[in-house]
Amino acid sequence: MTVRLRGLAMRRMSIFPHASPADVDLTEITIREEMENDEQNLVKELVGMSTLEQTRAIRELTMSFEEKRNIRNKVMAFRSVKKSHEFTWFAELSENVSLFFRRCSYTMRSARQALELWHGIMKEIGGKFGSSVLTYFMFLKWLLLFNIFSFVVNFSFITVPLLVYGPNITSNVSFRGLELLTGAGYFTHTVMYYGAYSNETLRHGVEYNLQLAYFFTIVVYMVLCGIALTFSMASSFKKNFVLVDPASTSAWQLLCSWDFSLTGEKTVTQRKNNLRVQLKESLSEKAQQKLLTLREKLKHSGIHLGSWLVSTALVAGCAASIFFLCQYEEKLFSQWGPGASSFSLQQEAETLLVPFVVSLMNLVIPLFFSLFNKLEHYSNNRSQIYIQVVRNVLLRMSILGVLCYHWMNKVSQRESSLCWESMVGQALYRLVIVDFLFLMLGSFFGEFLRNVIGTKLHRPLGPPEFDVARNVLDLIYAQTLAWIGLYFSPLLPSIQILKFFILFYLKKVSLTQNCQPPCRTGRAAQMQTIFIFLLFIPFYVGAISIVGYTAWSLNPSQNCGPFRGLDRSFSVVELWMAGLQTLPGSGWAVWIFENIIKSEIFYFLITLIILAITYVFYQLIQGRKMLIDLLKQRIVNEGKDKSFLLDKLQNLQKSGPKKDTKHGRVCYQTSSL
Amino acid sequence: MGATASQLDTGKLSEYEELTFLTKQEILLAYDRFDKLVPKEEKNRIDYRVPMEDILELPELKFNPFKERICKVFSTSDKKDGSLDFDDFLDFLSAFSDSATLEIKSHYAFHIFDFDDDGTLDRQDLKKLINCLTGKADKTSLTPDEMRMLIDNILEESDIDQDGTVNLSEFQHVISRSPDFVSSFQIVL
Repeated sequence: MTVRLRGLAMRRMSIFPHASPADVDLTEITIREEMENDEQNLVKELVGMSTLEQTRAIRELTMSFEEKRNIRNKVMAFRSVKKSHEFTWFAELSENVSLFFRRCSYTMRSARQALELWHGIMKEIGGKFGSSVLTYFMFLKWLLLFNIFSFVVNFSFITVPLLVYGPNITSNVSFRGLELLTGAGYFTHTVMYYGAYSNETLRHGVEYNLQLAYFFTIVVYMVLCGIALTFSMASSFKKNFVLVDPASTSAWQLLCSWDFSLTGEKTVTQRKNNLRVQLKESLSEKAQQKLLTLREKLKHSGIHLGSWLVSTALVAGCAASIFFLCQYEEKLFSQWGPGASSFSLQQEAETLLVPFVVSLMNLVIPLFFSLFNKLEHYSNNRSQIYIQVVRNVLLRMSILGVLCYHWMNKVSQRESSLCWESMVGQALYRLVIVDFLFLMLGSFFGEFLRNVIGTKLHRPLGPPEFDVARNVLDLIYAQTLAWIGLYFSPLLPSIQILKFFILFYLKKVSLTQNCQPPCRTGRAAQMQTIFIFLLFIPFYVGAISIVGYTAWSLNPSQNCGPFRGLDRSFSVVELWMAGLQTLPGSGWAVWIFENIIKSEIFYFLITLIILAITYVFYQLIQGRKMLIDLLKQRIVNEGKDKSFLLDKLQNLQKSGPKKDTKHGRVCYQTSSL
Repeated sequence: MGATASQLDTGKLSEYEELTFLTKQEILLAYDRFDKLVPKEEKNRIDYRVPMEDILELPELKFNPFKERICKVFSTSDKKDGSLDFDDFLDFLSAFSDSATLEIKSHYAFHIFDFDDDGTLDRQDLKKLINCLTGKADKTSLTPDEMRMLIDNILEESDIDQDGTVNLSEFQHVISRSPDFVSSFQIVL
């Protein structure tokens, strides 16, 4: 709408950049007349819109506040004149309703801002370190919200009914301090784990089926997470990837992305220095496009291949060692004797072995990866970061994969008198806690010690930079553990909430005391898209497959938990459906269940349809790209036309003053196209 | 706190809320901060203009390389001295808030970068822009050759109609391809 109305005066002036002073008066009068005309047109257009659109349109005008107020008053005057002519109570009612909704949306916006957590701290971090470091903290806050939601939902739907009903747990183990680390012992028979939940239906006036509640709460939460992730991934992808030319590290992009929220003097000077260095680099890249000789190319590919081989070997080695460690633990467990509900202190401490080794590997192996990174040669900076991220992801996924395989295949086949789900829950609890300890240790070594080395012992090294990619990956890994553990230990999100809370303050202190602002500016928005993408595809999908496999295929333990006595957890839904058949009027629900959810043809058809739609959209995109190229060519041609006409105008002006006014007016008309 | 908030009556407050991208809290906070810059004897004048030197003392603007340009662009004073009254101040915060649209931000960014106010970014403007952002430091500043090459690269990339200058539409086109712009063109009180 306002495309043709925006920046009118500026556009006019840009058409006559070389106009001679003699024509300025004529030009000014013409401009002023046109401006008044356009203002009247603008007011007319605004009056025609609904109130909501009108407010939005006025807000988006690029004028000063005074002028916006004038336009608004004119529009309101126009409207009241119109109203006194045609009064309909329906129009007034809809007016009031839309006014009410607008006020509501304003109050909601203000309320949301008031409740925003850590607003002051985020602003301080953004001011001193820039927006790329800020993305880590915003990501942390976002994940924290997931966990708070999960805890609230699980607690109210699963735990509270159980507590009200009166848990039927027999436990003769006293509380020893080690429980906080291992999660076993005293905690084994509390509501922390799957084992404590009962499979009965509460009848207290209202029927509340605890089995169904457990199943559906977990499923609904995971589905909601998936939807939230998909939406944020799609919107972020659209904003940051589709329109952007990924290969450009051009000077213009660097200049336009100056971070206006920086407030510290030192930071600004440093950022200016970094920008200067980056501009020089971009110039030298363009100036000397070094053509590598064949020998050098071979050497580079050889180094790449070598480092990939070594990394994969390292990852395979880690996975194998975790596998053997798990088998050793299995042997130990069978040695202690099945059915032992209380272990000695030493035995419990031995359960900490696997999490300890896992976290140690997650801490140490990436250091090797960054060493390889330094040896290799990359054509641009971004592929360097991506390759490092891919290797780290590979490492963590393979370790998690081995652990899940062990849990699904070995632990679930143990003696049926035990509660294998609680065992898995405890293993996950231990992983979460030990991971937290190692995160703190990593912060200590990675940032504090490195700062000490950089500033006191070996000055040229300087203080360290905050490694956003590695820290975000740690967060994603921690969240995956929570997602996998949700089925086996419904209250695990509470530990996660505490963990993230403490981590936020720890990282903030470490950042402000130890780190310096990053050298390379920018690419924050694209990095954020990559992180969300990473969170979704390997980790979330992996977590949901583990939970799905457990619910679909594995036998629940016979003596504990909400699904005891059933063949598999999913049977809960089948039984419920069978029960529903007796109710009148619910035939449609049962039909949907039998023929759609349980049949494979349905999913096959859906996949085919989605693939077809994706192909259609892809072709659309290709067509649009061609259109963009054509339009660009057209603009270049128009520019050539414009300069031709301007030259002609100037030649005519030079040839005579009188003839000129008539021609001049004619020429103004044509070049204002 | 109560005394300053009551000077902004609810009618004006809702008008400000409707015409800018700021929420009520942000407007009240802005009023608070603006009030501190107004000397005591002028506190009763509604449209007092705070001179540019006082605005530049705000911590959010103090070390910003574009502080003078920002004041000049958002000022509506007839003397063109960069002084801001409260309406201009709100305009400035609204354009730099996180809910402002890309068009608004790119429009104001264009005017901020347009050092000679002629409606286009020509070579002189680009040169001043680069100097502003790279600082006048010692040995590592850009040589004239590098400056020329840099400006050539910029014009090659963004001057679509090839007239030697970057006008508003070309600027907005380049900005639309830069996803970091919206999040970096922000100032929060």
